[in-house]
Amino acid sequence: MSAMIGLRHLGKSFESKSGEIVKAVGDVSLTIEKGEFVCIVGPSGCGKSTILNMIAGFLPPTAGEVHVDGARVDRDVPASLGYIFQKDTVLPWYTVRQNVGLGLKFAGAARKDTDKKIDRLLRLAHLSNFAEAYPHQLSGGMRRRVALCMSLAVDPKILLLDEPFGALDTHTKTHLHSELLEIWRELGQTIVMITHDLDEAVTLASRVIVLSSPPSHILLEEVIDIPYPRDVFELRQSNQFTAHIQRVWKVLGNQFRAAA
Amino acid sequence: MSSDQVQIAGPEISAGRASRTQSRRRSAGGLRITLTQVLILAVALGVWEALTRITWFQQNTIFDPFFISRPSLIGARIWQWMQPGKNAIWPHLASTLYATGLGLLVGTASGFAVGVMLAQSRFWAKVLNPFIVSMNSMPRIAFVPLITMLFGLGLASKVVTAWFMVFFLVFFNTYKGANSVEQELVNFCRTLGGRRSQILWRVRIPTAAAWTFAALPNAISFALIGVVLAEFVGSTTGVGYLLTTALATLNATDMFASIVILSLVGVGLVYLISAIERRLLHWSSEFRND
Repeated sequence: MSAMIGLRHLGKSFESKSGEIVKAVGDVSLTIEKGEFVCIVGPSGCGKSTILNMIAGFLPPTAGEVHVDGARVDRDVPASLGYIFQKDTVLPWYTVRQNVGLGLKFAGAARKDTDKKIDRLLRLAHLSNFAEAYPHQLSGGMRRRVALCMSLAVDPKILLLDEPFGALDTHTKTHLHSELLEIWRELGQTIVMITHDLDEAVTLASRVIVLSSPPSHILLEEVIDIPYPRDVFELRQSNQFTAHIQRVWKVLGNQFRAAA
Repeated sequence: MSSDQVQIAGPEISAGRASRTQSRRRSAGGLRITLTQVLILAVALGVWEALTRITWFQQNTIFDPFFISRPSLIGARIWQWMQPGKNAIWPHLASTLYATGLGLLVGTASGFAVGVMLAQSRFWAKVLNPFIVSMNSMPRIAFVPLITMLFGLGLASKVVTAWFMVFFLVFFNTYKGANSVEQELVNFCRTLGGRRSQILWRVRIPTAAAWTFAALPNAISFALIGVVLAEFVGSTTGVGYLLTTALATLNATDMFASIVILSLVGVGLVYLISAIERRLLHWSSEFRND
């Protein structure tokens, strides 16, 4: 068994302000293998972020179980897990280098041991020239890459990405897609990414999961059989790409129509 | 999330507030602005000086030098005070400055510490909320006679009064600042392996400090008000003491001279704090264009 993440009949209900129980996540069972790149798409409010938060141990499930790397997740953040938020999570009072080294500092690593690793990550993310810059001097896309490096510095086996490129323009986004695939190929983590951008999902993922409106369950698992390494610029013009988009959209579009 | 967050209501000042005109560099066109400012000041002082020299105005309006003195007299008095000797201002100025600085330091440090601590404990924040809110809404000036009675005529009661004025302001701002840290950022640091105490030192405290700094210009004037008040009520030194002596002898020139000195002290302290803030908070986008 090389399952990295296992969701077993996962469910999450919230109590609304007026006291009713709202079921966000209905019943989701999913196994994600080591090294997979899975994208989760679905209508807004279907509990995509909630599922990610439960995998990370930020939120306890109200039904079912989450297993990460062979252990059950229960309130504690699994050790081998990185999480990139949609919001900016770079610390403005630290330089890029200090930010990337934050996790190593948390672990009590000595400075001389961390420098080499930080340099390597900055090179991988094309940030070498900005090591001593402060976040307010960087663009939005660069700050995303800093956040990614911060996560990668602690060697996560799993990366959870919650609409990490949502707020960026298409040009920056496409470049970051290419870099993310490069990094993934080099470091080989298991990636679970949430997005509302179907093109993004098919461009990156080896498997796309389509969720229903709440209470959510899995409607479709589409294996994207376009081989890696992928050229994110060429890819979009291929027939394979279009065929995948059409198949996923058939299911997802119905959800949108039903929700309207 | 907002429903279970404790609301401590106070007169906090947002750290993101951008207007800091006193620290803005004079740029192109700045010379014209400066000249106009000097001109306005000169005209005001000139009118004041001239009218108090015209007999009709002296007799029929408030422009009687006995009541409002005149700029030349005030300037001469300040000059005289600056000369060494038994009338020198220096011991009084030193006394007021020392008490203000000490009160500011103690008030800021304690306000900051309590602000950060309460932001860490939802339970204690809820327990203490009504006390803090009611303490804050009390007129603090009313405590000055009591403080003087408790701490005597001297440095201690001045410092305690200044502390009392400063503490709440700094506390409220720090508390809000420490609570303004977003849950995403805390969760992100948890995935980086950060323990609670590590996140406190590296994330919460720097965020809170930015908010604390935003409160400091106001805290300075509060501290100065506290010290001068304590000097009014019971003291034998300080610029506030000079003011009450001037009232006893009906000496308007001394009063105006004291007020000018106090204003200069306030402005000087605010400049000093902005300089420190610039150094410490250089990463803040607020100073990006400087």
